[in-house]
Amino acid sequence: MRPFAAFRALPTLLKIGFAEAVAYRAEMLVWVFATTMPLIMMMLWTSVAAAAPVVGTGGQQWGSGAFVAYFLAVFIVRQLISAWASWEINFEVRQGQLAMRLLRPMHPIISYAMSNLAYMPLRALVTVPVVAVLLATQSGHVATDWRVWLLWLVSMFGAWLITFFVNVAVGSLAFFLESSIKIMDVWLALFFVFSGYLFPLDLFPPWLRATTEWLPFRYQIALPVELMTGKLGLEEGLGLVARQYGWAALLIFLSLTLWRSGVKRFQAYGG
Amino acid sequence: MTRYLRLFGLQFRTSVLLALQYRFDFFIDAAIGLFWTATAVVPLFVVYGDASRPGIPGWSFGESLVVVACFITLQAVLDGAINPGLQAVIDHIRKGTLDFVLLKPADAQFLVSTSRFQLWRVSGLIQAAIVFGLAFRQLDRLPSVFGVLSASLLLGVATLLLYSLWILIISAAFIVVKVDNLTYLFTSIFDAARWPSSVFRGPVKFFFTFVIPLAVMTTYPAEALLGRLELQTLGFAIAGSLTFAGVARAVWLQSIAHYSSAGG
Amino acid sequence: MIRIRGLQKHYRVHKRPPGVKAALKSLFKRDYEWVKAVDGIDFDVAAGERVGFLGPNGAGKTTTLKMASGLLYPTAGEVTVGGHVPQRRETEFLKKIMLVMGQKQQLLWDLPPSETFELNRAIYDVPRADFNRRLKELSELLELGELVSKPTRQLSLGERMKCELAAALVHGPKVLFLDEPTIGLDVSMQVAMRDFIRKYNEEYGATLILTSHYMDDVTALCPRVVVIDKGVLSFDGKLEELVKRVRPEKRLTLRFSAPVPREQVAELGTVVKHDHAESVLQVPHDGVNTAVARALATLPVVDLNVENPPLEEVMSELFARSRAEREVAA
Repeated sequence: MRPFAAFRALPTLLKIGFAEAVAYRAEMLVWVFATTMPLIMMMLWTSVAAAAPVVGTGGQQWGSGAFVAYFLAVFIVRQLISAWASWEINFEVRQGQLAMRLLRPMHPIISYAMSNLAYMPLRALVTVPVVAVLLATQSGHVATDWRVWLLWLVSMFGAWLITFFVNVAVGSLAFFLESSIKIMDVWLALFFVFSGYLFPLDLFPPWLRATTEWLPFRYQIALPVELMTGKLGLEEGLGLVARQYGWAALLIFLSLTLWRSGVKRFQAYGG
Repeated sequence: MTRYLRLFGLQFRTSVLLALQYRFDFFIDAAIGLFWTATAVVPLFVVYGDASRPGIPGWSFGESLVVVACFITLQAVLDGAINPGLQAVIDHIRKGTLDFVLLKPADAQFLVSTSRFQLWRVSGLIQAAIVFGLAFRQLDRLPSVFGVLSASLLLGVATLLLYSLWILIISAAFIVVKVDNLTYLFTSIFDAARWPSSVFRGPVKFFFTFVIPLAVMTTYPAEALLGRLELQTLGFAIAGSLTFAGVARAVWLQSIAHYSSAGG
Repeated sequence: MIRIRGLQKHYRVHKRPPGVKAALKSLFKRDYEWVKAVDGIDFDVAAGERVGFLGPNGAGKTTTLKMASGLLYPTAGEVTVGGHVPQRRETEFLKKIMLVMGQKQQLLWDLPPSETFELNRAIYDVPRADFNRRLKELSELLELGELVSKPTRQLSLGERMKCELAAALVHGPKVLFLDEPTIGLDVSMQVAMRDFIRKYNEEYGATLILTSHYMDDVTALCPRVVVIDKGVLSFDGKLEELVKRVRPEKRLTLRFSAPVPREQVAELGTVVKHDHAESVLQVPHDGVNTAVARALATLPVVDLNVENPPLEEVMSELFARSRAEREVAA
């Protein structure tokens, strides 16, 4: 497809995606309420830190306030980098509904991406109270440099790219495997442990912490969270954001390759 | 009664057939279960990382592991026996085929709750056993016979509680139109049961003890195994859960009546 | 416009026998078999033609349409549509065609159809003026009115199908594949749909291939029919030719003013139905005139009607016959 025409269609896709998000607002709220893990972890860690601050491997002191700020930030980031294309693709491949998308002169991945991004304004709205609590109670644990916030925005987009294209890659496996969606479970479990979702990576032993720098997970949650909470300086942050986009590029390449050969298979076996 | 046993046998057979059809699922489920077990255990290792960290107040590393093992046990029950049925009802409601179930000359609650099982999730019980083993090795002692008995009883009670919660959720599903995500919501709230209930304070503690009794489900059996659950608490837990189950059944009957009279 | 040569599609499917024992066995060993969904077919469709594509369930109709619209790769043979190879799924090709499947929908479920129209306008890159004009025409032809601004889930099946068609046509496709477009619709809605499809064909000069279980659709819309059975073509030609070939008789209905014995009627042709006041006969094509003349001369006829046998009967006889032929051959 001519990229130019596709580009012209994007605003309309986003607009209609937003209308759809509004139509599904109740469902979206259920999903948001189901994302309670960061708040549960917040309670666990503040009770651990009640007696004395926990000391991280970098020598940082994690008191109750630091944990509260960290997990509120985790909640916010998780809401805004969410992607669910793997379930969507899996469902449409099984139902043969993908045929309707393949008939259109637009790459299905672009339409999945736009409908995903169109949810973000509503999701951002949901996080507003959490942001308010964060700023009101833990302002000491929030980054103050505006350049860091700029970098945060860049890292949020990078985190979404990673999440979305992992979803596309796993979703594409539905063309080949019956139980492909279970692979998403494995990814999610690894994500929970290595992304900084359940605990700050600073609390890992040094060798594990170093390992996470080479895995994609920490770039989904920990990187933006650490930028928000002022744990990362500008220079260190820039280096990590560069690696983040490296991962994003790799995953885009991988998922497009899988998608292409998946569609070939779909054309061979039918849906 | 024998009729219901026979019905159960028939429904169960279907699940066995299905499980056999998806031959690799046992290994896949076991492998994925290992990952989820890791997500429950790894944070504990981090919490108790080195001797300098205080850990969860009132719980040693081994004791917390016992709670996690109870959690894994119940998660296997939830995934294997309770959620599939819930999903079945949700599918029925969405496709409008629940009427067929209600038309059948048998108790509807029985029919929907035995309609589907994920048998390969028994792999979760094996993993729970391993974590129990690790925990008591760490504690360097064995639970008392009475402890094991009362813990088993409490895990049974917990299953009853989960089942009752499930019935309540389905009753809600008759009223709320969009129900696709309820299984997910249920599972994610249950996630909070993986830690000793002492980490929750104030209103959250109240909520998880009386509204959604997560504390009763994993922390009480763990305390029973550790031999520190008071007999009185055991009694209260059982009585409370039975009441809860009764309420759930009443609500179910109410909402079925409502559903039928509303004409689906 | 459409050219199909030696087109084949074979699938390998996994046999799943019933029972616990067989299920246990299939844990270790699986049996496969080949299904020849389409097994070498040829035909051409000229621009602007309306062709009915007929066959029993599982004959290969949908598979063929999916190959012609680029959703499936042929196992062998070739298909071109307007000079394009569909499987390449070029933008130019996709903009020219549309496949409407009665059982699959593209309308966004919880939004009004107008949003799907707008989405398709953007995706197909239709200039705003063209879009508005075409949408106006479609709304008039299909009598959409208020429907387009109600959420899709609130529409009845017929209303939804109208909007599906409109959504499929906002880009003005030149080639239209219609797979069971009237399935599940009530009779008056079927008639409305047929009228619309014909008007679209006439106004836009669009080529269309239609499959349907309702022979009335085919009778009303398609001067030419192609019949496929078990993956091979068994007929390609005019609808009347098909009827004449399978059932070389016409159907003669006579109504009498006084009771007539059966034997007397039987002299005119094969009796299909007879009671005292009415008689239905089968008469060879070339014998119709003589039979009518004799009936008028010898019987107390008050009303007389000559027609082709219903297409449903023709089709079921055709399929039964081709099956019998194959069994003999095998």
